[in-house]
Order: sequence, then structure tokens, then C-alpha cells
Amino acid sequence: MAKVLIPTPLRQFADKQDHVELNGSSVGEVLGELTTRFPDLRKQLFNDEGKLRSFVNVYLNDEDIRYLQKDATAVASGDTLSIVPSIAGGAPETTGAWAGGI
Amino acid sequence: MIRIDNEPWDVMVTHAEAAFPNECCGAMLGTIDGDSKQVTIAEPIENAYAGAQGARYELRPEDLLAADKKARAAGLDLIGIFHSHPDCDAYFSKTDLENSCPWYSFVVLSIKGGKFDHANSFLPNAEQTAAEKEELIWPKS
Repeated sequence: MAKVLIPTPLRQFADKQDHVELNGSSVGEVLGELTTRFPDLRKQLFNDEGKLRSFVNVYLNDEDIRYLQKDATAVASGDTLSIVPSIAGGAPETTGAWAGGI
Repeated sequence: MIRIDNEPWDVMVTHAEAAFPNECCGAMLGTIDGDSKQVTIAEPIENAYAGAQGARYELRPEDLLAADKKARAAGLDLIGIFHSHPDCDAYFSKTDLENSCPWYSFVVLSIKGGKFDHANSFLPNAEQTAAEKEELIWPKS
């Protein structure tokens, strides 16, 4: 079984657990098992087309699956999957401007 | 509501002022009780944006993963991200919104002339189309 670490804000969709142990021989299978068991997580992780949301990265142990075989990356018993967001941003170059904050 | 303790607040302001005129970034660790969050540790993280950093920041996911591991090891949660706006107000810009994540609080510190001016916290939605302002309490706020 693989261990999937659940980020704090998503635990409310996973029976408040900080990790879950799941079956699956690939990353795609494990994530499928995760969202089958916790359907409310699906909307958080996947868009309407069933693809991982643009800000969602998945790490197998310490490696980004985009640089492995993505969803097809093999998962062995004892592996750990982490869900990590992409975050960036910045202010416009205009000095001191209040450019329409939300 | 997100409340930031003295020590992490000092770390955040010091980091943001030291990075001026560039943007800084980092992670906030602490505890969550319903809608109430308390930041007890601020973790400065290197701004990984490859171009000019005066108006951009980027967090490496692996650095965020390390912050999450640190939080778990300490019995805390990763609850937010902070970054600075040099010589600019603390609003959630279009760039911030389009590169955000709905899972965390985003605290923006306005640094003017190298000194802290004010701050705000935001909660972006999953579609990255809007961000709601969140009550932010920092020491002396």
C-alpha cells in the first residue's frame, strides 16, 4: 500500500485524516482510489475535464511525477505520495499603484 | 480569521524588508480551529522566480513540500503563504490570483521605501478568478 499525505486544508474532505493508505500500482490508480474513497476531494484536485488542476503537483517520495512517468509512474508498497501546490505571483511594475484589488 | 504571533511576524517583516526592492516569499505554519488560524512559525523561502524579482515571486513546490514536512514533524499545519509587494499596496494582484491555490491563506505585505507599511490576507477560489479578503491580525495591528 502507498501512503498519501493529505494537505491540511483538504483533510475536511478526507474524514479529517492527515494521511491515508491506498492500493494501486501507479500514481493514477492511487489517486483514483483516493477520489473514489473521498469523492469530495475530486473537485479539489481535478478540473471538469478530469485533469489535475493547474496548481496541483504530485510528488512520489521526493520526486515530481511530471519528471517521472506522470500518472503512469509505478508505485511500490511503502511509497509516499504528496500533493503540493504550485504558487507564484507578484505586483505590477507600477510603483505604489492600487491597481484594482479584489 | 488568521492571527500571526509576534515571532513569526518579526520573521516575515524582516524577510520582506531585507528582500526589498525585490519580492520575498515564505510559508506560515501553525494551527487551525475551524475558521480561526494561528501562525506560530514563519518559514522564509527563496524566491525562485527566474527573471527580475521586483514584481514577481515563485515558490518551488519542493520547498513547499519541505515546509509541509517541517510542519508535520512539529505537530503543526502548513496554513498559509506570504509574499511582499515592494513599493506597492498589499492587494491580491491579477498575477497573484492566476498563480494561486485555494487551499491556503495568502498574506501580502506592503513594503514602502524598504519599510513595512501594511498587510492583508486573501483566500482565492479554486478557479483562480476571485479572492476573498480574510481578517488578518498581526502584532500591533
